[in-house]
Amino acid sequence: MSILIRGARLIDPGKQLDQVTDLHIKDHYIEAIGDLTGVNADTEIDAKGMILSPSFIDLHTCLRDLNQIQKGTIASETRAAASAGFTHLCTSPDTQPCSDAGSVINMVKNKAAAAGFCDLLPVAALTKDLKGAQLSNMESLSGAGCIGFSNASYDISNNTVLLRCYEYAATFGLKVFVQAQDQQLGSGQMHAGPTATRMGLDGIPVIAETLAISRHLQFMQHTGVSGHFNQLTSAAGVALIREAKAQGMKVTADVGIAHLCFTDTAVQGYHSQYHVQPPLREESDRKALLVGIVDGTLDAICSAHQPHESAAKCAPFAATASGMATYDMLVPLIQKLVDAGDLTWALAIQALSCNSATIALRKMTSLTLGEEANLTLIDPNYHWTLNSSSQLSHGTNQALANQQLKARVKLTIKAGHISYKV
Amino acid sequence: MTNSGNLQLTENGELRHFLTPEGLDRLMLERILDTADSFVVIGNQEVKKVPLLRGRTVVNLFFENSTRTRSTFELAAKRLSADVLTLDIKTSATSKGESLLDTLQNLRAMHSDMFVVRHSDSGAAHFIASQVTPDVAIINAGDGRHAHPTQAMLDMLTIRRHKGKFESLSVAIVGDILHSRVARDQVHALKILGCSDIRLVGPNTLMPQAITSMGVTTHKNMDSGIDGVDVVIMLRLQTERMDSAFLPSAGEYFRLYGLTTERLAQAKPDAIVMHPGPINRGIEIESAVADGPQSMILHQVGYGIALRMAVMSMAMSGQMQQRHAKAVNPLSLKREPQP
Repeated sequence: MSILIRGARLIDPGKQLDQVTDLHIKDHYIEAIGDLTGVNADTEIDAKGMILSPSFIDLHTCLRDLNQIQKGTIASETRAAASAGFTHLCTSPDTQPCSDAGSVINMVKNKAAAAGFCDLLPVAALTKDLKGAQLSNMESLSGAGCIGFSNASYDISNNTVLLRCYEYAATFGLKVFVQAQDQQLGSGQMHAGPTATRMGLDGIPVIAETLAISRHLQFMQHTGVSGHFNQLTSAAGVALIREAKAQGMKVTADVGIAHLCFTDTAVQGYHSQYHVQPPLREESDRKALLVGIVDGTLDAICSAHQPHESAAKCAPFAATASGMATYDMLVPLIQKLVDAGDLTWALAIQALSCNSATIALRKMTSLTLGEEANLTLIDPNYHWTLNSSSQLSHGTNQALANQQLKARVKLTIKAGHISYKV
Repeated sequence: MTNSGNLQLTENGELRHFLTPEGLDRLMLERILDTADSFVVIGNQEVKKVPLLRGRTVVNLFFENSTRTRSTFELAAKRLSADVLTLDIKTSATSKGESLLDTLQNLRAMHSDMFVVRHSDSGAAHFIASQVTPDVAIINAGDGRHAHPTQAMLDMLTIRRHKGKFESLSVAIVGDILHSRVARDQVHALKILGCSDIRLVGPNTLMPQAITSMGVTTHKNMDSGIDGVDVVIMLRLQTERMDSAFLPSAGEYFRLYGLTTERLAQAKPDAIVMHPGPINRGIEIESAVADGPQSMILHQVGYGIALRMAVMSMAMSGQMQQRHAKAVNPLSLKREPQP
């Protein structure tokens, strides 16, 4: 099996590569890069005007399935992920049942392997059933393929328990993922600001994030654990990470695509599709998150994909489920940021691929001869409409439903095989 | 803007739902007040009925406890000759697991013409009007912390009848602004009607974030807050606020923010005192003030029926026009938003 992609713009920030040329894949590996006139392959793709990059690695996604198949199945959501250019997904442990046991991890991984669209890199529960009381079997779970541990959106309010979680993780050199939001201060439905005040919705102040970041940074510093913060939302949160990195701490952070593109004003009119946790904040925060990506304070962009069935979003705002299905709109949203001059494709690829691979796989994926071919081919000029026939996620919570979008993944290649093609 | 401006109006600009004053123009609010003025007289007649809603079905849907608001809505609908059904949903279907959506669709199937809705979630009335039953007129009787437009408008009616033009007035709203759907709508209505000096008085724990973006000033000190004002609106303090760390005690709250005769002397000599009720004597207001000559509290109750008759008749008329237009030429109408 061989694939030849002709005339694409190859972007690999990890290799300082940005060049229009050809790429040849043979028997799972990158066989050749350069002018390949005269070379033939089983599948040839004319990729003029398109961008070819190392495939994307998602640092935070919720796949549902198990007891939530009304929201999506592992097959449907990993396929949607492949259509957004992802080949590897770090799954959140707040599955039902909870990802705190090897049996659950194996079941989830097996389902994904059977579907064949993406490999899973599960983030397991830091405490049993995410209850913040008893440590999970971290070492065994690590052996089962979990790449990190997180208590998802649930606080570990007992500092003694949290210290032991960090100490135990440090013993085995395990990574801790943190969704930094104080649970008590985060009990509202949207960002605490003028929009929440007008709409009479309970606000979540920025201090809900900064307090949690500061607290976890102290535990990371004390124990030497390498930590990763998921889904930052605020300018103040970015500043704390910047400061921690300047002090030489082993800390990384990501931002969800929704927080890079939308603000709290999108909730006006009680639009439940913009009900997300942690909440969308103000324009100044969004700008600071973009600066964070540009200056490297924020390492990665994650999808924070959370599919829901229509009933979950059809209720008075406070009663609706939080979360946005993002896979179908991720690449068009990146293109929008690129068109607005906020981001370049090289920076986006750095954040979606190179850096997230380093965090999750502890090595870079790259466009290098002899490497396993994990690639994403994007057509930045493809115009399409996101609707029920074009979307792949089962989630009906599509913020951009029925809108005209620009850019789409044309091809995703995982381990030398086409996992998605338009 | 909560985007409800268009939702509340027909294509001809007539009222079809009443969810919040926000997004409506001054002319519309004045029409509501003028119509209410005309209904005030009816309450004083021997026969208190007019046939404006004859043959129409009004359903009072109270998902949250209320005695006063529910009974004034019921009375208002009856005085307009409507058939009235009052449902206490807490003991009804939703407690058996039926969703709000299903409950409403069932009631709609019974050919109801108007829902009067009170719900503990902000945006509930908006949700029903936009996504569930857009062809039934929705009157918001209070949604979470968001809005309570008939209460705010009856307060505007009280102010207009007793103080006249809004432009020259200074109004202080005192107390638990954070949890008050009434205060938010009072601010919207006062701004739309031309009032430029609106002061919110209370401690930081009861003041919503960024509230000054609504064009008001905030005051931590009661004396400076009500200094020289024409209208003092006291808000009800829910006793459970004491248990959830918003305030240390009822005693300290009354000492700092309670309206006493002595303190009222800071306002203009002819200032009026209002309260949406029910009042907590000795917690937010002294009995001598509540029962005193400057108190409008019982007037407010009377005006409440007239104001509710006004918005019910206006919204029903707008909704009927919209239904008629739809029946005549369905293609001329924009698609209703779908869930």
